[in-house]
Amino acid sequence: MAASRHLAALLLVILAVAVSGEDEGPRGRRLLVLLDDLAVRSSHSAFFGSLQARGFDLDFRLADDPKLSLHRYGRYLYDGLVLFAPSTTRFGGSVDQNAVLEFIDAGHDMILAADSSASDLIRGIATEIQRQWLLITLTMLSLDVDGDHTLIAGDDLIQSDVILGSKKIEAPVLFRGIGHAANPSNSLVLKVLSASPSAYSANPKTKLASPPSLTGSAISLVSVMQVAVESLLTKFCLCSCRQEIMLEFLKSGVQKAGSKTKHERAGNEQFVTETSKWVFHERGHLKAVNVKHHKIGETNEPGMYRINDDLGLYSTSFKVPDVYGVFQFKVEYQRLGHTGLSFTKQIPVRPYRHSEYERFITSAYPYYAASFSTMGAFFVFSFVYLYHK
Amino acid sequence: MPRATTDARLLIQSLSRAYAATPTNLKIIDVYVFFALATALIQVAYMGLVGTFPFNSFLSGVLSCIGTAVLAVCLRIQVNKDNKEFKDLPQERAFADFVLCNMVLHLVIMNFLG
Repeated sequence: MAASRHLAALLLVILAVAVSGEDEGPRGRRLLVLLDDLAVRSSHSAFFGSLQARGFDLDFRLADDPKLSLHRYGRYLYDGLVLFAPSTTRFGGSVDQNAVLEFIDAGHDMILAADSSASDLIRGIATEIQRQWLLITLTMLSLDVDGDHTLIAGDDLIQSDVILGSKKIEAPVLFRGIGHAANPSNSLVLKVLSASPSAYSANPKTKLASPPSLTGSAISLVSVMQVAVESLLTKFCLCSCRQEIMLEFLKSGVQKAGSKTKHERAGNEQFVTETSKWVFHERGHLKAVNVKHHKIGETNEPGMYRINDDLGLYSTSFKVPDVYGVFQFKVEYQRLGHTGLSFTKQIPVRPYRHSEYERFITSAYPYYAASFSTMGAFFVFSFVYLYHK
Repeated sequence: MPRATTDARLLIQSLSRAYAATPTNLKIIDVYVFFALATALIQVAYMGLVGTFPFNSFLSGVLSCIGTAVLAVCLRIQVNKDNKEFKDLPQERAFADFVLCNMVLHLVIMNFLG
């Protein structure tokens, strides 16, 4: 009988490294920018300039340009869409609401700005993409900034380094527009900029007859959504204000009413830059590399494991459960703002071979002794029986 | 009461006197059977203390004792001259059967002992 063997001496390590991938980053560099008015192009040169500095090719078109088309000969011409044309009622060329939705379903990203003057077409796109978004028609009011109370200094930003960058946005973001709300049961939508608790949604020109339907931080001013369609990941950003408003305040200072700090510049520029980086996949993309598993002490990946083997997870070890069958190694990794990571590997687990059981168990020594003593007794007995007088 | 105890004592005395008259070889077999069963009882008591792990070793030990006891009893039956049924069976044949069966028994026990 061989010496006893200890199963606990075998350990396994699964090395699954989730890499924040810059190598798979931005999908492509061609963005279509649809505008109401080409003057926006020059009035917002700071924003567009920063996009171009990051390597994007921007194609500026009027929304009702008759030569507008998203694809030609079955291939898409652009990799992303920036829709700053809230009052357009019809797109030109071969583009319409369905074409835009198909473009997004095929895995492309989009930024959409829509405010109280948003046409039905733009509202339709926003609601189709995320069926439970409500675009409120009334302007937002709040006490944040003195004046006509329609300007909001929003500092209720989502806590995510991935979406908003590692450098914290210190100054509040200036905002004037309408609010929208997402259905709380939808978990794919994230509120990047929410209204402060003192904000509510109402028409500034009339007296309020009844309490406003939407108040406080349930209102979202800028939301993002991230959807995985088969293996394509699409990101979508909805900003419910006129784009000029957002970008106009890039350079102005802000002091929030009731707070003592005065910021030299509002946080708009940083906010807009960082969010657009996230939307266009420059940040927050996860990929699993180098997934392998093996027993500690060996390096090759075995074809199957046995019950009660010890395996490793990341860098700790675990014991294979006491059940044999076919198992799967699954990694499901979901973090705020990152792309989700989910993959499986199938592996069978077998029971003990007959030579792999424990031997020389100390507590069984009496039984061993009894069996051998019986054998000896038989031997002695046969002699005595045969040769007694 | 006194009658019961004297009766019991008389019974035991007559039993032991009759037993003393049995042939020596049968008495040797009896001793062998007694020791095998005693070993089995000790193992059962031990299992009661320690628990049934490892169960296969326990079974193997107990069965070896019980098995040899059974085979010895068979030998005694076949060898006993007063037994009409086995009158024509040669004693050597009975003993040879006994030895072979024990071989098989111990082979199985060793395999199952783990």
